[in-house]
Amino acid sequence: MSDEKHKFFEIIKTGSDYEFVGRAKSAYAVSTVLIVGSILMLFINAFVIKSRGRVLNWGVDFRGGTELQVEFKKDVAISAVRAAVEGGGFTGVDVVRYGAGGGSDTGKKFLVRMGAVSVISPEKAAAAKAKISKIGEASLKSFALSEGGDVIYLRFDKPLENAAVRSALSSAGVEATDLKQDGLGLSYEARLIGLDVEVTKALEKSLGDGAVEDIPMVASVGAKAGRQLQIDGVKAVLGAMVLIMLYVGLRFDFRYGPGAILALLHDSIITIGAFALTYREFSLTTLAAVLTIIGFSVNDTIVIFDRIRENLARYRDRKLERVVNLSINETLSRTIWTSGTLLFVTLAMNIFASGVIRDFAFAMNVGVIVGTYSSIYVAAPVVIWLTNRAAAQGKSVRASETTRRRRDAEAV
Amino acid sequence: MWGGITVLAVLYLGPSIPAPYDQKVPAFVKRIFTKKIQPGLDLQGGLHLVYSVDIDKAIGAKVDRIASDIEERLAVKTKGFKIDREGRDEILFTFTPPSDSAKLDDKVLDNYRNAVDEISRDSGAGQVRLRLDPDQAAEVKEYALRQGIETIRGRVDKFGVAEPTILKRGDDIVIELPGLKPEDFERIKQIIGRTAQLEFKLVDDGAEYMTKVAASVTQGGKITVVPEPWTDKNGTQHNNISIRTPVRTDLEAFVAGLTGELEVPKDREFGYEEIQASSPDGTEVVGKTVWRAYLLHRRASVTGEYLAAAELSYDQQTNRPEVAFTMDRQGAVLMERLTGQNVGRKMAIVLDGKINSAPEIQSQIGERGRITLGGFGDPFKAQQEAKDLVAVLRSGALPAPLTKSYESQVGPTLGADTVADAKWAMLIGAFAVVLFMLIYYRTAGVIANIAMMLNVVFMLAILAAFEAALTLPGIAGLVLAVGMAVDANIIIYERIREELRAGKSARSAVDAGFSRAFWTVFDAHVTNLMAAVVLYSYGSGPIRGFAVTLVIGILSNIATAVYMSRWMFELMLGRRGVVKQTISI
Repeated sequence: MSDEKHKFFEIIKTGSDYEFVGRAKSAYAVSTVLIVGSILMLFINAFVIKSRGRVLNWGVDFRGGTELQVEFKKDVAISAVRAAVEGGGFTGVDVVRYGAGGGSDTGKKFLVRMGAVSVISPEKAAAAKAKISKIGEASLKSFALSEGGDVIYLRFDKPLENAAVRSALSSAGVEATDLKQDGLGLSYEARLIGLDVEVTKALEKSLGDGAVEDIPMVASVGAKAGRQLQIDGVKAVLGAMVLIMLYVGLRFDFRYGPGAILALLHDSIITIGAFALTYREFSLTTLAAVLTIIGFSVNDTIVIFDRIRENLARYRDRKLERVVNLSINETLSRTIWTSGTLLFVTLAMNIFASGVIRDFAFAMNVGVIVGTYSSIYVAAPVVIWLTNRAAAQGKSVRASETTRRRRDAEAV
Repeated sequence: MWGGITVLAVLYLGPSIPAPYDQKVPAFVKRIFTKKIQPGLDLQGGLHLVYSVDIDKAIGAKVDRIASDIEERLAVKTKGFKIDREGRDEILFTFTPPSDSAKLDDKVLDNYRNAVDEISRDSGAGQVRLRLDPDQAAEVKEYALRQGIETIRGRVDKFGVAEPTILKRGDDIVIELPGLKPEDFERIKQIIGRTAQLEFKLVDDGAEYMTKVAASVTQGGKITVVPEPWTDKNGTQHNNISIRTPVRTDLEAFVAGLTGELEVPKDREFGYEEIQASSPDGTEVVGKTVWRAYLLHRRASVTGEYLAAAELSYDQQTNRPEVAFTMDRQGAVLMERLTGQNVGRKMAIVLDGKINSAPEIQSQIGERGRITLGGFGDPFKAQQEAKDLVAVLRSGALPAPLTKSYESQVGPTLGADTVADAKWAMLIGAFAVVLFMLIYYRTAGVIANIAMMLNVVFMLAILAAFEAALTLPGIAGLVLAVGMAVDANIIIYERIREELRAGKSARSAVDAGFSRAFWTVFDAHVTNLMAAVVLYSYGSGPIRGFAVTLVIGILSNIATAVYMSRWMFELMLGRRGVVKQTISI
């Protein structure tokens, strides 16, 4: 054995002996409060806070509807934008300012959200149907608005000229950019103007011609597609958790798996709770962050589990709780700094990036911190609990550990 | 070896880096390494659409037609019956008196024996229940989706989008058009979403108008004029003229240029068919095709919805493949009108503006008809042609409307702003990590930093090699990879420190550190990988880009953080045999 003294730069000193396992009870309390609080927040958002009204601030990908980014040439007030859009006949309009510059209520860049995917509401469609029920000699046999709200399908019983149908639609208040007639002149497909064009018209009508500088982005999601994404999202999160639990169960044993899963659930719920509290936009990118957190949070857990397993084999005479506590202490540097380096990066993203990346970074921040906490205060205690339960029920210990004991006993 | 890989990576990255690279690098290198990193839709702008094919509506409409067709046939035999449509696939006939149910017999149902099954017959109550054959329904769905994709592809091709993506995902069609200019958004949306129509239109090549057009064609240009005279059964001579050219766009341009006197008459239009090229003496030139234009009546005489069935069959005598089709009652009437008055003329079968085939009308056709395809030497090819036509007819019989379920249009300016911000974040975050590693782990920290930077280079090179799209979340993924890159090193280094404290020599501490920590590092990476793979299968578009960069980052990280650092440590430890006691860690 060398007597060399090694001088390492350490922030967390070697041989630290903080009490983790002993504090487990208070940790349980904190965790329970956080989890219950998160779930409660979802309900509060939906039923109590009027201005929110939904469990989470779903992005357009999940909610369905249309979201447009509008940029004006000069500063405009939020209320003016909303009034202008609603003046165009749209309902369920929500306007949010984004980007730098301007005051808190005025600015140049806005995010306009609405429930509609189509320029024609069902009521307007019904009214139009009544108006064009007869054109000249021909009667309307069928009228259907496509689910995406972008096409109207018409069928008449006698052939008509394209121009006649177009003018009839126009007088019924339906502007078609494209009217396609089938070869027989009986069926028509009227393609309606895009929402962005309609919104621009409404904005410029109220705020002046040429007021709109640019519409850099439009996203339009049908309600069905949105719902499907929600369902798939939940499946993806659960699927990832199951996969990881299986893997941990494979690499360690049945006592460790549940601990990992509980820690993951804990992290996911609290991260979502953070979004419920701050009501930040929960979009597809945020869900991606949750999945990334699931993959990452289990890293710390594995580091600690690894050490627990190694120490259990080494210090068989000590009490389980002490071994686990020692393991946590020994790996403290590792646990803290792997999360730390990730935090450097996500904090930077949170501060300097904008838009959807910022929300993503926020989720990652919460997730990384909670993830580290849960590896120490959730995963490890569960391992202790399960091991004690197994011992109390007289379950057999892992074969390799038994063999090792026997082998060592013989060597002595 | 690592040096070689690094050089390779840098070369791969080359094309993605603009300007100065171009001048300094020898030409042969540039020829091999041509792939670039593609900016994703959200960075360069473009259109992302998802359409679902409304199969249910199409099938429902089809069963409606079958029901009304059977109704017409029955009506000649008896008046006392009621038809109810149940669900999408079922038709219920109720007869009064119940004994009349026998009138709905095999003869009446003959035309539809392939399409519908009789699933119950209750002579006592006078009820017969029919249902659309489930295999048919599934087949229809397949055809509709496939045809939908082909149609859209054909339409998008005309716009000259650089790298369009059109694929099937479940029951949806996903279309990504990166780099499309905002001016084109509306137009493309219109064109893409149109329901493909199958139409039967009469060809009118014998018109005087065609002679005028033919005369206007300049000699020796791209367009060839081929006269096709024929005599009808009354002995009248018709002088058909066809104009041909190897490239369709030339033909379309020529047609577009017909103005003034030569303007296309209001009730006519041009259709285009791709046919086998033939040399002047009439023999065909294998492997070459030309496009020929037909002057068509604008109004279709029959459309695809009136088709009841189409299948491949073989001529009894010549054994040549042909297409046998059946019209429903209303269609039969229309078809009789079309074919009865125009024997000898050609009937163009047009799908979505493209003429699939233009057979000559040999005799009047009512409910059943046969299309014999032109004389091709190769019987296999003829059979393929026939199969294609059957597919076209079948899907044309069921026009399935496309309904838009998702749309995202991004202008080109959006990307520039957000990327600039993200770049800052990445630099500052990376700087903080680099600084930390240096202070905390000294020289070993330097090794970790070098490994991390190489990791980024490798990641970008792999992205370039696969021409993967880099989206905004993808950039976030890169940034994350930077944060995660040093994790492996931290785990290994802490282990090495423990070993050193326990008294091992430098070399054995390094060995022990790397080998003991390897499995922990491996586990951590595998779990991250699992999450990333799940994300890839769930997400689409930008999210996929994120998942891809994450996966690449994790894999490349294992290479750099574990193997490359190990190699660099070896350098630091010096030659074997010289025992070092301490290392800077």
